[in-house]
Amino acid sequence: MSAQDIILSSGTSELTPAAQVRRKLSKVAKLFDATKCNGCKACQVSCSEWNDLRAPVGSFQGSYQNPMDLSSECWTLMKYQEVEENNKLNWRFAHSACMHCDDPACLTACSTKGAIVQRANGVVDFDSDKCTGCGYCVSACPFDVPRLDPIDQKAYKCTMCSDRIQVGQEPACVKSCITGALKYGTREDMLFIADLRIKELRKRGYVNAGLYNPEGVGGTGMIMILHDINQPQNYGLPADPKTSVPIKLWQDVVKPLGAAGIIATVAVACLHRITVGRNLVEEDEPAQFDHTHSDKSDKE
Amino acid sequence: MHKQNMILRHKLFDRICHWFVVATGLVTFLTGFAFFFPSFQWLGSIAGTPQMARFVHPIAGLMMCLPLMVMLVRYYHHNKWEKNDLTWMLAIKDVMFENEDKIPAIGHYNPGQKVLFRTFVVTSIALTITGIMMWQPYFAPYFEASAIQWAILIHAICAVIMLIFVIVHFWMATWVEGSVAGMLYGYVSRAWCKKHHPNMLNDPELKTNKQEKH
Repeated sequence: MSAQDIILSSGTSELTPAAQVRRKLSKVAKLFDATKCNGCKACQVSCSEWNDLRAPVGSFQGSYQNPMDLSSECWTLMKYQEVEENNKLNWRFAHSACMHCDDPACLTACSTKGAIVQRANGVVDFDSDKCTGCGYCVSACPFDVPRLDPIDQKAYKCTMCSDRIQVGQEPACVKSCITGALKYGTREDMLFIADLRIKELRKRGYVNAGLYNPEGVGGTGMIMILHDINQPQNYGLPADPKTSVPIKLWQDVVKPLGAAGIIATVAVACLHRITVGRNLVEEDEPAQFDHTHSDKSDKE
Repeated sequence: MHKQNMILRHKLFDRICHWFVVATGLVTFLTGFAFFFPSFQWLGSIAGTPQMARFVHPIAGLMMCLPLMVMLVRYYHHNKWEKNDLTWMLAIKDVMFENEDKIPAIGHYNPGQKVLFRTFVVTSIALTITGIMMWQPYFAPYFEASAIQWAILIHAICAVIMLIFVIVHFWMATWVEGSVAGMLYGYVSRAWCKKHHPNMLNDPELKTNKQEKH
């Protein structure tokens, strides 16, 4: 996988960028069509199979959803959202996994060089061997996706099956989708297909059907067709996900200002040292017990 | 210089406390620097690996901040604001350029040291609270993601402020010859006191080496 070009890397700045993109790669995307999903969980199971994830067996929590939440051992989860509409109970199935943001908050917040990377094809990937387990990505992600593993204390999440993509295959979840709710291809193609589908849905009476591809994170590598684009919370999705204010302040303001402050302080200290010099006490003077501060200079 | 006439400036317990804070603070700052500026990740290597640095940092941080609270109690009475302090502060330029005759007389600590002390106390309280909030995997899971994000920001700001004041502290201590020796061995000469902290000689509880030993 290291052979794939990395275009963004955590812990680097514009002055020290990640490896340059030598080949122009098209960005890829997964398209999830919530209007086609029947909640069969094949995507969830194939993700677990392909990535060899074995989440502990949970207990019944009053929902068909199982497990109840994403974890380091569950990278793709079929969420069963129960929504009441016109006095009817509706399920809103949501294929919940990493959104592969174009401007990923996790990568911005990461404290470790190269632990989170964005590949030239747009996939956001974790190099868990470099992860220190600080959990900054966990708190930064507006979609609440990355999770720390209780055993090795490293963060894990969906890789969009980078290993499969690299050899020209589609992600495991897409491969196993029986209803065609999941599609994979170049981002451009997926946006085109989504556009056609939304037009069709609107004709069929879903006037609010739309594409979830939030601008706040620069668009995502997993785009979603929703029955009602104005109600993303019905799918457990945030209405306006973005890199939060404290993370931006921390990375874009506190770090450069902090560096400047530290360097300036050291510089003043050094200047003071070589101009004013040492502050010596003349010990040879007879030790007179004088309470008043004499006018006589103690200077050498 | 008459050794038996040396004045006790720092008691043994306070000296141990101080150097303990220095040692743990060094570990905390070097490992913390590695997370704050990932380009300086190699500084975290003092703990072995980046993962180890991440594990050691909060523990070393607590070991730095808690003794600082002990020092807050021990040095509290020396750090109250006094009458001459404002005039001293206004004469800061004369202090820096060693215009001795223009510097108002001050006691055990000068106002600069008092400001420094207060900053250390306030930042270490803030660093402890925010540090616990973001401490994976033990405490962070109990806090909201947005609370942790603000904690990380405040932690970073306080760390930078503290580091700047540590640099100032180190710079002044090495500039004023005799300060470091005073913090290492506890005693300063009478002439040193007269020059830097004249009102200290008026302290009724003043102890000299002679009085201690005999």
